[in-house]
Amino acid sequence: MPNPAPVPDHVPPDLVRDFSYFTGPGMCPMRGGDPQGALADLHDGPPVFYAPNNTYDGYGTWVFVRAEDQRRVLQDAETFSSHRRIFEKALGYDLPTIPLEIDPPEHGAYRSLLNPLLSPKRVMAMEAANRARAAELIDGLAAKGHCEVMTDFAFPFAVGVFLEFLGLPQSRREEFLGWADKQFHGTPEERGEAIRTVIAFMEELVALRRREPAEDFMTFVVEARVGGRAMTDKEAVGMGALLFVAGLDTVAAAIGFDFRYLAENADAQDRLRADPGGIVLAVEELLRMFPTVLMTRIAACDTEFDGIAIKAGDRISCPSMVANRDPAEFPDPNRIDLARENNRHVAFAYGPHRCLGSHLARRELVIAMEEWLKRIPAFRITPGTAPLTYGGHVFGIEDLRLDWEVG
Amino acid sequence: MRIRVIRDKCQGHARCWAQSPALFELDDEGYILPADIVVPVEQERAAWLGAKSCPERALVIEQDGKE
Repeated sequence: MPNPAPVPDHVPPDLVRDFSYFTGPGMCPMRGGDPQGALADLHDGPPVFYAPNNTYDGYGTWVFVRAEDQRRVLQDAETFSSHRRIFEKALGYDLPTIPLEIDPPEHGAYRSLLNPLLSPKRVMAMEAANRARAAELIDGLAAKGHCEVMTDFAFPFAVGVFLEFLGLPQSRREEFLGWADKQFHGTPEERGEAIRTVIAFMEELVALRRREPAEDFMTFVVEARVGGRAMTDKEAVGMGALLFVAGLDTVAAAIGFDFRYLAENADAQDRLRADPGGIVLAVEELLRMFPTVLMTRIAACDTEFDGIAIKAGDRISCPSMVANRDPAEFPDPNRIDLARENNRHVAFAYGPHRCLGSHLARRELVIAMEEWLKRIPAFRITPGTAPLTYGGHVFGIEDLRLDWEVG
Repeated sequence: MRIRVIRDKCQGHARCWAQSPALFELDDEGYILPADIVVPVEQERAAWLGAKSCPERALVIEQDGKE
């Protein structure tokens, strides 16, 4: 990890805390860890603190602990900008991912264009194809009696849905997975290379769909008008790039954490098999307990938050996994209650940048669990193994080995 | 019972709609329609659950004119 940036002068020393999403206890890569649970005790400390070395490239961030404070930050996108220039370092120029890295008011036009493509009703129309994809993958595993969930099911399923949405052939799955893996979990050099590869791919796709329109996402984007003018190539690339960043491994990781929980809790499996109607609420509760994404914002101007001076350019981290265990928001927050009501968790963020793909993601998680429990009998983590878990900008789980009786 | 809709706060989570699609109607983008909702007595529990499920707190429950 690069040398950390110095703590800025305006940060009071008593708010500086030794804390990192990458190397902290429970969040560094380890076998059988609980990276989300490792953060639960932040509610015993100050509501806002400063972590001097808390990004993959060595920047400090403020960390906002309480759900109510995260809501204030994330709803105020003009003060707390989402334009983080995440690709600038790799590309040598800024290429905002859209709509995530565009702030209001410009944000609204892009968002209105894309919202209908991923609205709850539109997602319902994708249901049958997504369910068939899950069923086919699981049917291929059932008779084996064991599998590694991420490679054998979660990634092929999530990436398959993504490729179909983008109008790309399924044959490119492995290639995309390799890029995603490097971009999210590689060294800074590997990340840079993966980002350049993805951008080059999107540039080719934009050019192709301008030349040869098809019935797909990128054709829709390049033919769309925004603010009364034609979409530029750079904007279309920024939209494709965002789908890649946001849609590839987040859903897969969520499936992994869900199945790990079920594997370790046979009674929960039994209950949901007997009452599949409970799966919708169960998925919400597991999204609350095991969300995978941290929201990061950059102060657009000098501001003050409950007496704390925040300077333009400061990074503000809103960890969903912490807000989701706020006792002021959720009674008995560290207890998993698969039938929990009023579960207004923040797995998909608050504010105008609420996850555009949230409705699709939710259905993927529900479909994955329903089809799995229908086809696979009581399953457990294969004795002698433990999944690899890690924190970071996107929390994850790998090497999740399950087995079950065949007969 | 009435649900006051703070339309500017709606960000399209559609959790209210998931509780009760008939009560909480969405536009084509998946955001709630702007008008306040008058709740029939037999749907008060569904309305309460829907309003409580909003992560943005865009839905305010009013009973006898009071929040």
